[in-house]
Amino acid sequence: MKKISKLIALMMAVLLMLSLTACGNKDGNDTPADTTDGASNNSENDSDDAANTTGDNVLNVHFDVEVASLDPQIATDGTSFEVLAAVTEGLYSVDAAGSSILAMAETVDKSADGLTYTYKIRDAKWSNGTPVTANDFVFAWRRLVDPAVASEYAFIVEIACIKNASAIIAGEVAPDQLGVTATDEKTLVVTLDVPVPFFESLLSFPSFLPVNEEFFTAAGDSFGTSPETVLSNGPFMITAYEPAATTITLAKSTTYWDAAKVALDGIKYQVIKDSQQAMLSYQNGDLDVATLSGEQVEQFQADPEFNNIMAGYLWYISPNQTVAGLENQNLRMALALSYDKAAVVNNILKDGSIVADFAVPTLLATGPDGVDFRETTSTYLATDKAKALEYWNTAKAELVVNELKYTMIVEDTESAINVAQFIQAEIEGTLPGITIEIQTMPKKNRVERMQSGDFELGLTRWGPDYADPMTYLDMWTTGSPNNYGFWSNADYDAIIESAKRGELALDIVARWESLKQAESMVLAEAVIFPVYQKGDAVMIKSGVEGVEFHSVGINRIYKNAAKK
Amino acid sequence: MKKYIIKRIIISVITLVVILLVLFLMLELMPGSPFNDEKLNEAQKAVIRAKYGLDKPIFVRFLNYIKAMLSGDFGVSYTISKNTPITTLLQSRLPISLRIGGQAILIGTMIGLTLGIIAAIKHNTIYDTITTVISVLGVSLPSYVFAMTLIYSMGFKLKWFPLLYQMDAPIYSSVLPTVSLCMFTVATVARFTRTEMLEVLGSDYMLLAESKGINSFHLIFKHALRNALIPIITVLAPLVVGLMTGSLVIEKLFSIPGIGSLLVSAIQSNDYNVVVALTFIYSLMYIGIMLVVDILYGVIDPRIRLAKGDKNE
Repeated sequence: MKKISKLIALMMAVLLMLSLTACGNKDGNDTPADTTDGASNNSENDSDDAANTTGDNVLNVHFDVEVASLDPQIATDGTSFEVLAAVTEGLYSVDAAGSSILAMAETVDKSADGLTYTYKIRDAKWSNGTPVTANDFVFAWRRLVDPAVASEYAFIVEIACIKNASAIIAGEVAPDQLGVTATDEKTLVVTLDVPVPFFESLLSFPSFLPVNEEFFTAAGDSFGTSPETVLSNGPFMITAYEPAATTITLAKSTTYWDAAKVALDGIKYQVIKDSQQAMLSYQNGDLDVATLSGEQVEQFQADPEFNNIMAGYLWYISPNQTVAGLENQNLRMALALSYDKAAVVNNILKDGSIVADFAVPTLLATGPDGVDFRETTSTYLATDKAKALEYWNTAKAELVVNELKYTMIVEDTESAINVAQFIQAEIEGTLPGITIEIQTMPKKNRVERMQSGDFELGLTRWGPDYADPMTYLDMWTTGSPNNYGFWSNADYDAIIESAKRGELALDIVARWESLKQAESMVLAEAVIFPVYQKGDAVMIKSGVEGVEFHSVGINRIYKNAAKK
Repeated sequence: MKKYIIKRIIISVITLVVILLVLFLMLELMPGSPFNDEKLNEAQKAVIRAKYGLDKPIFVRFLNYIKAMLSGDFGVSYTISKNTPITTLLQSRLPISLRIGGQAILIGTMIGLTLGIIAAIKHNTIYDTITTVISVLGVSLPSYVFAMTLIYSMGFKLKWFPLLYQMDAPIYSSVLPTVSLCMFTVATVARFTRTEMLEVLGSDYMLLAESKGINSFHLIFKHALRNALIPIITVLAPLVVGLMTGSLVIEKLFSIPGIGSLLVSAIQSNDYNVVVALTFIYSLMYIGIMLVVDILYGVIDPRIRLAKGDKNE
């Protein structure tokens, strides 16, 4: 047995050596670039050098999901939009306050009837040296509506009411009939069907970003899949990217027309899906800007680097009015008033979300008076449990019932389930006789069931596509796919239609007032039960300044950001 | 033996086709579509479905898919990386998962075997106890907790290793993920090795071999371990596939651009082609490794080789 003991000692020693050297050895052998360096120490230094070449003046930003596309007309998500907007500039950009400012357009000439916009394109260059021309916009926008491209955001051109957009999307007319023409290399003329009061704001949406036709054709199917196949005319250019990459690096663009104002040397995006890992990386100094998850807020709230950012998402419960009982307005009012919204945001979410007593979120749109929509209109459906009980008693008499049971469908994210469970307890506590059951499912499933009317109550959300109340109010018109409750009101439909392309579209002051009226109609009948407007909790390292946050279109803009 | 292998390969191909068909049917039943349901009206949805051929009946789609696949075209991604060919998407991701999984299997098996042998030889001593504790921990400790502990201690506190996977330091930054991944393998292999070795060591022929004066090295590696290996290979095979195709938890935690994390995002966002391609690869590897294992049995155990030979030739 002595021999066996020796053998064990030997094996232990070998094992120890293996575990220590396994990593080191492979460093030298497996990485072709390192083979000349030999020892593993060298290759470790190499990686440090690589990080340093991008410098200290590079902003490290956290993403919790990968970029889905760098093709401006194909991208649909906030993450992709953010990177696209950092490398590409459209006719308009957005300032810190969220208003549209001229970018690639040097001047704009608006016709008196509001139907024609003539843009002079700035003397700017793409990163390959070719000038930015009016045709870059014509090409991109035609792609946006082309059924062959099948862009999911084609509808944004319809909302902009650009001539022939609807017919082209439906495949009735060729894309070259779109109301956008390049009269010469630097002049772009856009023709609308009806005046659109928020047209300029809409054009800052990333789907309208330009694409250089020649470059696009040369890149073919690989367009937007690598640094070589992305052309930049914006503050930054891409230096490292591949489809669904976990890291993306941008460097300051030298060809950008306003390069003097760009303080950062670059941006490095790091995808981290695990929230704990994200915070560790932030504390480790690997990230300058990181998003917190709801349960982490309490831990970091006191930190001076903690920031609350208002997001555009409105969370609300939609009652299906085709379900027995829910067509009763008193019952809907009872449900809408019965749960403590302040407790939802303060005790459940704790991420800076605010109570929503409205259908059009705050900080979404500024009116002709230059003031936020919410500031000049009232609030609705504030929590009032006593009143809720009164409504419930009336509803009981009208419906001749004592007990009702409804199922609420909810998407299977932690925060949505927590909120739903709290509301369930609140409703059941405030309105004796009502039972709420919760059914969780993936978001896609929930949306499909709500659109097909296969639900009773649904906790849902809506994010704005453009900075006008219409992005919300349009939802509750008769026949809209997002009018989950199947509410129908001819007066309401008339106001919305007129505000979109009728008389009201011509009178922006009257239009603004009627939008307020439209909102009050939705909430007076409790068509939806608003819950909260989402807030984001973000950590920003001290010394980082000028990152601009927005709730519509491009979430974060870095052009004016600096790191000290 | 040859006949046996050919037969197995034919069965494997049929299995793969059946898996693909079942997958297609299941995806069809999955709710929702890959596209931005909320924002689109019916006409726009129809245009998009037509573009990607999703408007065709499922059977036509299945045949088209098989046809395209035979020429190496796995279609494009619908949501995760819009319009990117799946082959492009996997080109960079598959090797990373394979490498990190391979590292974990290699190191995990070596450590597990060593621990198991030691525990068996030093039965009922402190070494045995330590191995048992490691086995129980390794099997029962969720890999998320273990990985997080490693990240916190060796990454965040001691700063020995980076917290995240880095493309420009692919080996150095894969140390923590590899260690996290191999823990389960170490535990499983150690446990099985110990049990099997104990059984073999207690058998009459081992007593005979020892009394014949065969030296310890030969005794353990030639006589004992070889006999103990068969059940170990059986448990190792699925582990190999599981690790090589990328671990969801570890890839998510370390932000590794592999295929494990890709599969779950693909399922959640109804990215049909990505799901089908990844499941296909997974099945292919699983079936392939099972085939290798069956052949390996024969190599390790002459009794199996002979039996199979008799039957099939």
